[in-house]
Amino acid sequence: MVAPMAGRLVALGRRLAAPARAWLPGLTQVRWSRYGPRYLEPELNKEVYRKPLEELSEEEKTQQELKALQPIKAAASNVTSSVFSDPTISKFTNMMMKGGNKVLARSIVTQTLEAIKRKQIEKYHQASEEERESIECNPYIIFHQALKNCQPIIGLCNIQKGGKTYQVPSPLTDNRKRFLAMKWLITECREHKHHRTFMHEKLSQELLQAFNNEGPVIKRKHDMHKMAEANRAYAHYRWW
Amino acid sequence: LAAPVYPAWLGRLAAGRQRRAPAVRPARPLVLANQVANRRLRLGEATCTTEMSLLMACWKQNEFSDAACAKEIQTFYDCVAKTDVEHKERLKQESLGHMGNLSPKTVNKLLRRFPNITDDF
Repeated sequence: MVAPMAGRLVALGRRLAAPARAWLPGLTQVRWSRYGPRYLEPELNKEVYRKPLEELSEEEKTQQELKALQPIKAAASNVTSSVFSDPTISKFTNMMMKGGNKVLARSIVTQTLEAIKRKQIEKYHQASEEERESIECNPYIIFHQALKNCQPIIGLCNIQKGGKTYQVPSPLTDNRKRFLAMKWLITECREHKHHRTFMHEKLSQELLQAFNNEGPVIKRKHDMHKMAEANRAYAHYRWW
Repeated sequence: LAAPVYPAWLGRLAAGRQRRAPAVRPARPLVLANQVANRRLRLGEATCTTEMSLLMACWKQNEFSDAACAKEIQTFYDCVAKTDVEHKERLKQESLGHMGNLSPKTVNKLLRRFPNITDDF
């Protein structure tokens, strides 16, 4: 009677003193949300709310009714519902940011877009009538097209087989492609520029070159493709 | 727990054949553990290799220009998207247990929720 009770108490004490998974090195939860599972994401697009009631489809109507009943999270401070906000530009600014200095990164990006616009307008005024139609002056379009031209199509994956690590050609996800394109652009501008050149100046040069499918970033993408082509024999080492 | 002590009549169960001591004496108690070994069920194969080889052949001919090989690139992307969807569907089916045996990962998850109770308290 007493012995099993004592055993139970000892076990209980052991459990209370060191509960399972209380502290495991490397597994502390640092990011958690104050929002419960019922909270919905905020809708930032103003056009969604401007649509008259008749044009909404059934599922959109049910969604709007749901939004009236369920709580909604607060919008993050880096997103706006203005026409000028662009998620790609925000991602690019964040990748360029150093030490949390978003103000500096954002000013560089704005100056880059302005520099692109200036260069294109200069080219526009100096060009003849026929050429003027083909010159693109919108810096956002140039930015997006340049980024798209820099994205690799096939990436290389490190796979270990028989003690050796092989570079195996494999497809990339969209996020990874976008990340590589931005990373290559930023690294190229940081490393291969004269220390007296401004970052926005160098970035605008690189973006315009990438828009025309030339320049060092495009060359880096081609190098990646050439490596993948050279290693195509190892393509069967993948298992996914 | 030391080596398990089996009741005497268990040894006498071997009726018909020569009565001798049990061939194998287990060192640890014969208790099921709360996890399964993580063996790779079956080796998958590389997907979209034909599209990839076509794309690379096109690249070799056209000096790695993307505009010239736009069709091959599109077929490659379509294949990748299709295999991604299939892969996700297969993983979901695997976790639900519709494809024959459960994977070791699913089994371990279930055992963590419903473990083999070895203590008396």
